[in-house]
Amino acid sequence: MTIAVRPDEIGEPSPARLKEYHLMLRAFRRDPLAVVSLVMIIVFILGAIFAPVLTPYPEQGRGEPNILEKFQPPSRVHLLGTDYLGRDVLARILFGARSSLSIGFLVVFIAVAIGIPLGAIAGYYGGLIDDIIMRTTDMFLAFPPLLLAIAIAAALGANFTNAMIAIAFTWWPWYARLVRAQTLSLRKLYFIEAARSIGVSDFTIIIRHILPNVLTPVLVQATMDIGGAILTGAAISFIGLGVQPPAPDWGKMISTGRIYFIERPWFAGSAGAAIFLVTLAFNLLGDAIRDVVDPRTRRAA
Amino acid sequence: MKHKLFGLVGLLVLLMLVASCATAAPAAPAPTAEKEPAATSQPAEVQPTEEPASAAKENVFIYGHPTTFPDLDPAISFSNDSAVISNCYETLTFYNPPNSAEILSPVLATSWEANDDATEWTFHLREGVKFQDGTPFNAQAVKYSIEKTMELGMGAAYIWDPVETIEVVDDNTVKFTLSYAAPLDLIASSGYGAWIYSPTAYEAHDTEWLNEGHCVGTGPYSIESRARGSRLVMTRNDDYWGGWHEGQFDKIVFEISEDPVVLQQMIEGGTVDFTYNIPPDNLASLSTRDDLVVYSNPSFQNLLGLLNTQKAPLDNKLVRQALSYSFPYAQFIEGVMNGRAIQAHGPVPAGMWGHSDDLFQYHYDLDKAKELLTEAGYPDGGFDLLYTFATGDMDEQQVGEVWKADLAKLGIDLEVRGMTWESQWNLAKSGPENAQDIFAFYWWPDYVSPYSFLYNMFHSEDEIMFNLGYYRNPEYDNLIDEANALSGTDRAKASEMFIQAQKTLVDDAAAIFFYDVANTHIARADIQGYADNPAYPHVVFVHQLTRK
Repeated sequence: MTIAVRPDEIGEPSPARLKEYHLMLRAFRRDPLAVVSLVMIIVFILGAIFAPVLTPYPEQGRGEPNILEKFQPPSRVHLLGTDYLGRDVLARILFGARSSLSIGFLVVFIAVAIGIPLGAIAGYYGGLIDDIIMRTTDMFLAFPPLLLAIAIAAALGANFTNAMIAIAFTWWPWYARLVRAQTLSLRKLYFIEAARSIGVSDFTIIIRHILPNVLTPVLVQATMDIGGAILTGAAISFIGLGVQPPAPDWGKMISTGRIYFIERPWFAGSAGAAIFLVTLAFNLLGDAIRDVVDPRTRRAA
Repeated sequence: MKHKLFGLVGLLVLLMLVASCATAAPAAPAPTAEKEPAATSQPAEVQPTEEPASAAKENVFIYGHPTTFPDLDPAISFSNDSAVISNCYETLTFYNPPNSAEILSPVLATSWEANDDATEWTFHLREGVKFQDGTPFNAQAVKYSIEKTMELGMGAAYIWDPVETIEVVDDNTVKFTLSYAAPLDLIASSGYGAWIYSPTAYEAHDTEWLNEGHCVGTGPYSIESRARGSRLVMTRNDDYWGGWHEGQFDKIVFEISEDPVVLQQMIEGGTVDFTYNIPPDNLASLSTRDDLVVYSNPSFQNLLGLLNTQKAPLDNKLVRQALSYSFPYAQFIEGVMNGRAIQAHGPVPAGMWGHSDDLFQYHYDLDKAKELLTEAGYPDGGFDLLYTFATGDMDEQQVGEVWKADLAKLGIDLEVRGMTWESQWNLAKSGPENAQDIFAFYWWPDYVSPYSFLYNMFHSEDEIMFNLGYYRNPEYDNLIDEANALSGTDRAKASEMFIQAQKTLVDDAAAIFFYDVANTHIARADIQGYADNPAYPHVVFVHQLTRK
C-alpha cells in the first residue's frame, strides 16, 4: 500500500499521505460495524477507568463481601443482581474489566514488542539467523497456551502477572512470522536496495524503512488479538490459574457462577456477555481496520 | 492466521458451553442411567426367583456419586470408595450414629472384652457367616485380613500400629495382643482399613482384579459390573447373614458425576435416588419440594485454618489470638453457609466423644483483636499473610474472601490464593519459613477418636505430615499420648484429658477453628430408613433402606 512512498516522506506527512488518512477516516465512518465496535470498546475502557465513580459499590467491586444481600436478582438497586457474597455484579464487571482489558492490551503489547524486532531481523538478514529465529517460533507455537499457562502457574504461582506472561509467551511468534514475511518481500524492493547502496546502516534501514511498512498488518492483527487475549485470560482465570479471589475477574466470575447458573443466571451470564461483547468488538474493529487501510477494499466499498 | 482465529472462536464457544453446560450435559447421563439397570435386570426376570411378585420389577437404588472410586481394595482403600466398600465388606464393630445409647454395636464380632490395661483384646465372632466367594468367616479370616492389611501398610493400615500379635483361640474367638494400650474396639470400627475380607479370594487375586469390579467381603451386596469413572453396579448377596425382607433393594447403581450441577439435575429429575455435593446455595429450592428430602447432619469433619506458628508474625500467640477474634463466624455460618455448619469448639467436632461445648470459643470482635495486636506490637497491623485454599472449594474460597475484608480493617493484607491440594500441602511441608501463614484444612477421623484430630494436626513431628502449622508443645504431646493409652479402658478419663489438651490449643490459638461441617444429603422422598452416620461419611448402608 505505502510501498511506493519515498523514504524521505516518512516522518513528515506529505499532502498525499494526509489525503490517504482522510480517505481512511471517511471509509471508517461509513462502516457502521466499525463505529459500533469502536464505541463499545471505548465504553468498556471508560467503564474500567472510572469504575469507582460509576458504581455506588466500589468496595464491593474490589471484593468486599456483603453477605446479607447475596444472590439478589437484577433490580433497580443492583442492575445486574448480586453474586454469592452479595456483591453488586455490575460493580464486579466494571472492576473486572480492568484486569481483562489490561491482560488484553498488555499481552498484545508484549507480543508485538518481542515479535516485531525478531521478525524484522529474521526477514532482513535471512540465512542462519532466520533459521534460528523461525525454529524458535515453531517451538513456541507448538505449546498450547493453556498448557503453558498451567505449567507457568505451577512453577511461579497462580496470579495475574504470570497468567499474562504465559499468554504473551505463546502469542509473540505470530507477530514474528507476520513481520518476517513482510520484510522478506520488502528487502528485495528498490528503495531498500538503494538505501543499502548509499551506505545506510542495517539498523536505520530496519527502523526507518522497513518497520513503517509492516506496521499496518501488525496493527490489524493486534486489534483482533486483543479480543483473543482477553478470552484466553478469562479461560486461564476460569480454571483457577489467573486472577485470585476476591479480585474481580470475568473468567473467575463465570467459573464460580456456573454452579449457580440454573437458578441465578445473571451472575455468570453477565460476565459471559461482557467477554463476548468485548471480544466481538475487537474482532470487528480489526476487520474494519483491515478493510479501511487496504485501498482496494476501501475504494470498492 | 485464520486457523488461529478459529481457535479463539473455539475457545469462546467452549467458555460459553461450559457456562451453559448446566442445561446441556444431563441429557447424556439420564437415559443411560435408566437403560443400564433395565438391561441387566432381564436375566433376573427370566430365571424364576423366590419372590415372583417383586421380580417383575427390580428394586434399584441409584446413588448419584460426586467422585470416582479410586481404589476398591479393602486393605488399601482410604478415599472416596467407602460408599461401595461398606456395602460389600464389614468390620468387627460398628460406630453408632450420635445420640445412640452405646458408642459401638456388634457386626462380625458379637462381643469383645479387654484386660485392665487395654493391651489384650478378645473378640467373639459371629457364627455361620460366609464370604461372598463361599469361604467361611472365622478367626483365621480375621487374623489373615488384619495381618495382610498391616503387612501391606497402605491406606489406613497404621490404625493397627498398636497390634503386636493376633492369635486364633478357636474358630470363633480371636485375641489381639498390643504393644501399648489402645482402644481396639474403636479401631475395629474404622471406616478405613478395618474391613474383613476372604483369605482365599484375596490370596488368589491382586488389587487390579478387585478394581475391575470384584468384591470378596461378607456384606449384603457384591459388585456386578464397573465402568471406571462413570458407573458401578452392585447386586444383592442372597446368602447375606443379616437376611432379606420384602422391600429391600436388589441392586445399587452408582452414577458418577463430578459436576454438582449435573447431580442436582439428576436428583431433581428423579434419575437418582440419593446424592450429595449439590451447590449449597441451591439447596433451599430443593428442600421445598415434596418429592425430595434434604438431610442435614453434623459431621465429624471440620474446617480449620492451620496457623504457621513458627514464622513471624504468627509465632506470636497474641497475634494468633487476634486473628481468632477477626473472623465473623456467626455471620459467615448464617449468611454464607446457610446454616450448613456450626462454629467449632476447638478441634474435636461436636457429637464425638472427647468434644466439649464448654471450651472457650473465640467470637468476632475487631476491637478485641486490635487490642491484642497493639499488645503484640502491631497497633496498625502492617503485615501481609498468605491464605491458601484448595481451588474449587467454594467454602474455603469464601472464608478467604470474607476474612480478607475484616483483616483489612486491622491493617493486615490477606492474600487469598487458590492452589491444588497437592501443591498447597507441598508448600506447607517446605519448612516454616516458606510455608503459607494460613492453610485452610479439613480433617475427619479414620476411626472415631479425638486423638486422630489432636495427634495428626498438633502433635510435634520431626518429619511434617499433617502438623502443618509446625505446632510444638511437649506438655501437650504427653497429655494426648497418655489420654490415648487410656482410651481403651477408661474412656471417661481419657475424654477429660483430651478436653484438657484442647484447652491448651484454644488458648494458644494454634489454629483458627472455623466450623464443624454439616453434611447434607438429598434423597428422594420415597426412600425409607436412611440415617446419616458421621463415622462413615457419605456412606449409605443400602441394606437398611426400602422404597415406600
